[in-house]
Amino acid sequence: MSAKNLPQTAAEADIETGLPLDSDAPPLSAGYMTWFRFSRNPAALVGAFIVASVILVALFAPLIATHPDHVGAVVDFRNRHMPPSADNWMGTDKAGRDIFSRTVFGFRVSLLLVIGVLGISVPVGSALGMAAGYFGGWTERLIAGFTNVMLAMPPLVMALAIGNVLEPNLTNAMIAITLLWWTWHARLIYRVTRSIVSEDYIEAARLAGASHLHILWREILPNCISVISVKTTLDAAFVILFGATLSFLGFGVKPPTPDLGSMVADGRQFVPEMWWEVLAPGFAIFYATLGFNLLGDGLRDMFDVET
Amino acid sequence: MRFLSFIEPILARLAGFIMVLLVLSLMIFLLARVVPGDPARMALGPSATQEQVAELRLEMGLDEPILTQYVAYMGRALQGDLGRSITSGRPVLSDIADFLPATLELVLVTVFLMVIIAIPLGVLTARHRDRWIDNSGRLFSLIGVTIPSFLFAIGLQLLAANFFPDWPILGRVDYRLSPPDGPTGLLLIDSIVHGRADVFLDALQHLAFPALALAMSGIGQVTRITRSAMIENQRKDHVLTLRSFGVPDRVIVFRYLLKLSSVAPLTIMGLEFASLIGNAFVVEMVFGWGGFASYGLTAILQKDLNALMAVVLISGLFFIVANLVIDVVLSVIDPRQRRRAAA
Repeated sequence: MSAKNLPQTAAEADIETGLPLDSDAPPLSAGYMTWFRFSRNPAALVGAFIVASVILVALFAPLIATHPDHVGAVVDFRNRHMPPSADNWMGTDKAGRDIFSRTVFGFRVSLLLVIGVLGISVPVGSALGMAAGYFGGWTERLIAGFTNVMLAMPPLVMALAIGNVLEPNLTNAMIAITLLWWTWHARLIYRVTRSIVSEDYIEAARLAGASHLHILWREILPNCISVISVKTTLDAAFVILFGATLSFLGFGVKPPTPDLGSMVADGRQFVPEMWWEVLAPGFAIFYATLGFNLLGDGLRDMFDVET
Repeated sequence: MRFLSFIEPILARLAGFIMVLLVLSLMIFLLARVVPGDPARMALGPSATQEQVAELRLEMGLDEPILTQYVAYMGRALQGDLGRSITSGRPVLSDIADFLPATLELVLVTVFLMVIIAIPLGVLTARHRDRWIDNSGRLFSLIGVTIPSFLFAIGLQLLAANFFPDWPILGRVDYRLSPPDGPTGLLLIDSIVHGRADVFLDALQHLAFPALALAMSGIGQVTRITRSAMIENQRKDHVLTLRSFGVPDRVIVFRYLLKLSSVAPLTIMGLEFASLIGNAFVVEMVFGWGGFASYGLTAILQKDLNALMAVVLISGLFFIVANLVIDVVLSVIDPRQRRRAAA
């Protein structure tokens, strides 16, 4: 849709389509149009709200947590395994630490993992995918072949193997997941690039003497941005889930740092009598993955792309 | 001739898969050899003398160049010798033979659950698009996708503990029943062969929760894909033609649409297999399921290299076999797939 015939203010827009009522109206920003479509999708709004709240809770964890000191190696044996109460909203764990406070801090580890994994694998995967789709030939065969190999590998088994070769901690979990993750982006961006590489405007840029780098950066990448952002949002959910599973199996951060997966693993030993020990961290994992999933689905509908 | 055209693309894919398996094994082999810590020392324990360690290193061929070691390993592996596990002290192959059937049984029941729950649910939600059935079905599949399987597993255990105290939540079969020996190691099949209804029912009870926990994420994915494939195919010209001819809705859905719309979910199920095997590690751990994944987890934790190699290779093989089966099924139900695979 060209920016020319868009309404400038919401009041001038048709309530159903967002198109201008007055065709002579001055242009409206593309950003507004995008927001218009997004704001009419309740699931996406809920997702955006959840994601925002997860980020805020992680950022301001020391202010939100009722017992910020319980994040460290605190032991309070008189209060161990206490059910939820006014003082400990989500009960206490086997060392008498406040589970609510630890869950709040647990979001930090999850988000760090997301940033670390996607911060590397999205640019690398996208660059390789674009290169494979644009250059074709051997570049294509090599990258496509390698991604096929990675696909046959159960990611969890692989991450466990890598995580164990190195010492199990957050950084190494991040490395293990990143090594597997970029292939998915590479595959996706490869498909998108292939579908647009023979378009006229790319041919035109080439005829005008544009360099490969210019074409990749200025012509192809902008076409991939919407797909990348949808995929990255959905991936954030999977990384949280995956990281929680890894740390549930004992490949997470070192204790006493709170981490949602290992908190569930710790609490599991005392289930079913002390059900609250898995409740808060378990719900936190669900909450965060749900948020990123809803937001990602909403973005996909908004941009109308396939991932 | 017709038979050949059917088998050829599958052979081509098989060749591709074997390449994948080779590269995969090389990667894991290299990875396993950069493990800090001497495998020979790990096997013998801290009290072994320097000479004993050196002797075992020589025996395990650890002083050879890595590629020589790899070629030797693969040569032996092809003859069925996967080496000895340092934790169990037995040949890895007989360990696997003991542990694999439990996982195979779990995975097969899981896939069965996925198919019988997800595909009908996908069809149902597509037919009632944007109505309450659709919305609750979509919510259900969203929950399946967002909740990790270890939470499902724990949740099901909690449910059983609180509401069905007699329902078994650990192990494969009640220890008081002596399960029949052989021939497959799959309790469901063995108990039928031996005519043991008590074992069959008990094993089925034990299977229900682990299989459900393992199936949930796949159910979520497959339901979504089936739904969108049904909706997309409803708009195809030939479906509109059938409809305008007055073909009853039920016939259109079950004779034509379902077949057409099962291609995408089947393909996804093949890809899902990789994460299914991964999640089996978690589910087996929670339910005390003495299977292949539990074995693999121990191997990884103990840096038991031969066992680790075997676990990775067999996981890869699992994935490959599953995808080949799906390829065959696809080429039966959708002739276009044959040409696609050949191209």
